[in-house]
Amino acid sequence: MLRLLLLAALAAGSTLAAAQAVPQWPTRPLRLVAPYAAGGPIDISARLLAAKLQESLGQPVVVENRPGAGGNIGVDLIAKGPADGYSLVMSAIATLAINPSLYPGLPYDPLKDLRHVTLLVQVPNVLVVNNDLPAKNVKDLIALAKQRPGKLDFGSGSSGSTGHLAGEMFKMMTGTYMVHIPYKGSAPALADMMGGRIHLMFDNLASALPSIRSEKVRALATTTLKRSSFLPELPTLDESGLKGFDMTTWWGVSVAVKTPDAVVERLSAEILKAMDAPDLKDRLRNMGSESPAIRTPEQFTAFVSAELKTYTELVKRSGAKAD
Amino acid sequence: MKIKSQQDLWAGLMFIAFGLFFILFAMGTPEFLDKLVGTRLIPGYQMGSSVRMGPAYFPVVLGGLLAVLGLLVLLDSVVSEGPEVPKFHFRPLIWIGLSSLAFAYLLKPLGLVLASAALVFVSAYGGHEFKWKEVAIMSVVLVIFSVLVFVKGLALPFPICPDFIEVCPIR
Amino acid sequence: MEGIFGNLAIGFVEVFKLQPVTMWGMTLQHVPFNIIMCLIGCLLGTLIGVLPGIGPVATIAMLLPVTFNLSPIAALIMLAGIYYGAQYGGSTTAILVNIPGESSSVVTCLDGYQMARQGRAGPALATAAIGSFFAGCVSTLVVAMFAPPLAEVALKFGPAEYFSLMVLGLVAAVVLAHGSLIKAIAMVILGLLLGLVGTDVNSGVLRFAFGISELADGIGFVTVAMGMFGICEIIANLEQKESREIFTSSVGKLMPSKEDWKRMIMPILRGTALGSALGILPGGGALLASFGAYTLEKKVSKYSHEFGKGAIEGVAAPESANNAGAQTSFIPLLTLGIPSNAVMALMIGAMMIQGIAPGPQVMTERPQLFWGMICSMWVGNLMLVILNLPLIGMWIKLLTVPYRYLYPSILLFMAIGVFSISNQPFDCFLMAVFGLLGYVCVKLGCEPAPLILGFILGPLMEENLRRAMLLSRGDPWVFISPSKPISMGFLIASVALLVIIAAPSLRKKREEVFVEET
Repeated sequence: MLRLLLLAALAAGSTLAAAQAVPQWPTRPLRLVAPYAAGGPIDISARLLAAKLQESLGQPVVVENRPGAGGNIGVDLIAKGPADGYSLVMSAIATLAINPSLYPGLPYDPLKDLRHVTLLVQVPNVLVVNNDLPAKNVKDLIALAKQRPGKLDFGSGSSGSTGHLAGEMFKMMTGTYMVHIPYKGSAPALADMMGGRIHLMFDNLASALPSIRSEKVRALATTTLKRSSFLPELPTLDESGLKGFDMTTWWGVSVAVKTPDAVVERLSAEILKAMDAPDLKDRLRNMGSESPAIRTPEQFTAFVSAELKTYTELVKRSGAKAD
Repeated sequence: MKIKSQQDLWAGLMFIAFGLFFILFAMGTPEFLDKLVGTRLIPGYQMGSSVRMGPAYFPVVLGGLLAVLGLLVLLDSVVSEGPEVPKFHFRPLIWIGLSSLAFAYLLKPLGLVLASAALVFVSAYGGHEFKWKEVAIMSVVLVIFSVLVFVKGLALPFPICPDFIEVCPIR
Repeated sequence: MEGIFGNLAIGFVEVFKLQPVTMWGMTLQHVPFNIIMCLIGCLLGTLIGVLPGIGPVATIAMLLPVTFNLSPIAALIMLAGIYYGAQYGGSTTAILVNIPGESSSVVTCLDGYQMARQGRAGPALATAAIGSFFAGCVSTLVVAMFAPPLAEVALKFGPAEYFSLMVLGLVAAVVLAHGSLIKAIAMVILGLLLGLVGTDVNSGVLRFAFGISELADGIGFVTVAMGMFGICEIIANLEQKESREIFTSSVGKLMPSKEDWKRMIMPILRGTALGSALGILPGGGALLASFGAYTLEKKVSKYSHEFGKGAIEGVAAPESANNAGAQTSFIPLLTLGIPSNAVMALMIGAMMIQGIAPGPQVMTERPQLFWGMICSMWVGNLMLVILNLPLIGMWIKLLTVPYRYLYPSILLFMAIGVFSISNQPFDCFLMAVFGLLGYVCVKLGCEPAPLILGFILGPLMEENLRRAMLLSRGDPWVFISPSKPISMGFLIASVALLVIIAAPSLRKKREEVFVEET
């Protein structure tokens, strides 16, 4: 039945592959490794992308979940795997920019072992607070944190997540002290905030949006330089006095570093085409992603190396660690 | 002292062993032992305090509890009568274990068809009677079923054919 | 009250709506598409539930891209169908071959499998189906009528409350065993310790991984359950030379007898109540539903001596509790937008990608969707019971297949399921290791069920304990302070339960040493 449904779906919107730049590729199925357990946002977007690529490349694209060690196992698999363009991985801010400084013995080098093809999704984080907290804006919050040092608790989806590091960045830039409470995923942290047990958290927009819209929690600012189109009235942290505060959660597609240029070019073009198709664009947007401005492999690689530098510094200065 | 319950004796020893194992790896090797050897054998984790519990806290408390309970079971074995330990049957144990390992490590290089067949043959060997013909038919049926249900139906990302075959006849 | 009927009417109209459908270039008018999707979901759910190791999470994740070509309501109806269909299917495997595919069916194994061994697989399966159906109906009504206020209750549960609840759950775990009390407690603790393997949530430190990167995310429940129940059972069966060629001597009756009916009514009612209540809690409450219901029955039933040896109450209560919990765990999702488990998180993903932000506004902004989904749950439960009762005949036929054909098939399905979790051989290796551990434990008179419960609850307990201590800045009284009446209540209940458990077993200790081998 599954297959039938899929076939029906494909028949409904099939498009022929564009002019083929690399005629000898692909001639067999591709695998797209999602280095997390099935069901998370990265896994879902991998599956969405795979379905699209399958149409345009004319070869099956099989999503393979290889969870473990914060995504490092799956990424390492591709970094050390064959560089033939048939093995792709969903790489993310965690595996490319944060883990290198969190995990001392990381088996791969995000810049030397991998080639970054396309940035797929970029989701802003938002600073949300418990409804009963007197702070109505970022200024109030900073004042409150200064007045009650060590009394405010901020939650995050896990130690070393972007939510955690955003909190550390906030603490450093404002010179305040708040206690970090790690959770297993941001949903329970959000629930504890609604219940009034923690005061604030930096959550990614997609998971916080429903609670913000239903006024179960209050959003104070986004962590990006530009305002989010989902919450256009919401100021940014940059506007609120924390100059240059810019943190997003992002993920994309990478391959082994020795993958031929022609294949990378073609792959990048196909992924961009898929991302620009209205249906996938809509769905990625619904996951909280603004269409990333970074499009080419070169831009993505530059972006990765900039992010790597930022987070290495941040982790070092804040003393956050996983080991 | 006479052991009245073999079962309790071994169960007690097992619990004590597990308890000490977790304590050892959570706290690390004691200092004198490290000095004796010259290096830190097992680093262990931070203990923390009851206020800010470290990663070692919970395992050490539980490991200690487990060891104490094991000791109680051990004491019980000399106090009250209990059954003997039933005989271990190594034939099914070994072949069943081996068959799942064979499947696991053959799946990626050889594909689902051969790995499943290997599992069926090895595990059938662990049973009471092994008839070539029967097992062969069974493995064919099971291979067809699992390819249809798991790979075709549920879309699990398993290779069907061995790596070295360029074009797989089953698509 | 009137409002409810109006809303349910909206829902049923949506579920049974006839709509034009285009497939393979043909357009058909007046197709009851939503109901067809519900049926597909239930069928698929039953299938993956029966297959050990393949869970609803992986299935739903793989199906997500397909569902985006459906309308939101059809997609959600189908995904929900997979979820509760898997709960039904899971109990079938637990009863027939003693393999719990889901944490909730661990306790169903205890008595369900014993019933099957006695040739009463038919009544056991029927009881599970009937209990689940009844619980599904009641809890769907609970969701429809009380969702918003219950969600507020869920928010009252913080780390302290969850910790105390887990303590109660662990004390209850001891009741699962029918042999030595000390050994049962030791097994719970061993389970707790095994649950700690992997990355520590609070500090991020890797514990007991011994340099094996596959252990960094901990040991999976499915791996442990397949090993300690599935593999261990196969080995135990194979070592008995004479009797084991055919599983049961007679297939027995299909349906429960009059006596059975009488005995299952109260357990189903109590199980439904307990399951509905625990299902509301997003932080792992539903995990406790089936365990809790089993413990409760064992303590209140006048047949408590039969528990673990094929008591019908031991199937009826946990199965109803489990299904009731599965339905009410939609409450935090629908009213707060908070997922209570991995499947719910996926449902949120499915909703968001369809452009629906989950939360209370769904009820007012898209009543068709909200009530349609609730009504579909009831329809789905009805479908499942209609589907499953006739299937019982087929399932118990399966038991007459000679064991030498049966066990390689079970083993293959387990291996495939376990392998698919992270697509690497290591999990199958671990499964074999736990099979060995389970075999040793059984030989030493230690039962695996308490270990499994400890394994499930251990990480949750530590996580919540440390979080509560962090939030209270190290005040240990946080669990029993008057400002936390819920937490205090659970701890008092735990102590009371411990006394109840310990009192008779201290007295009967001598006799209980000779627990028969089962």
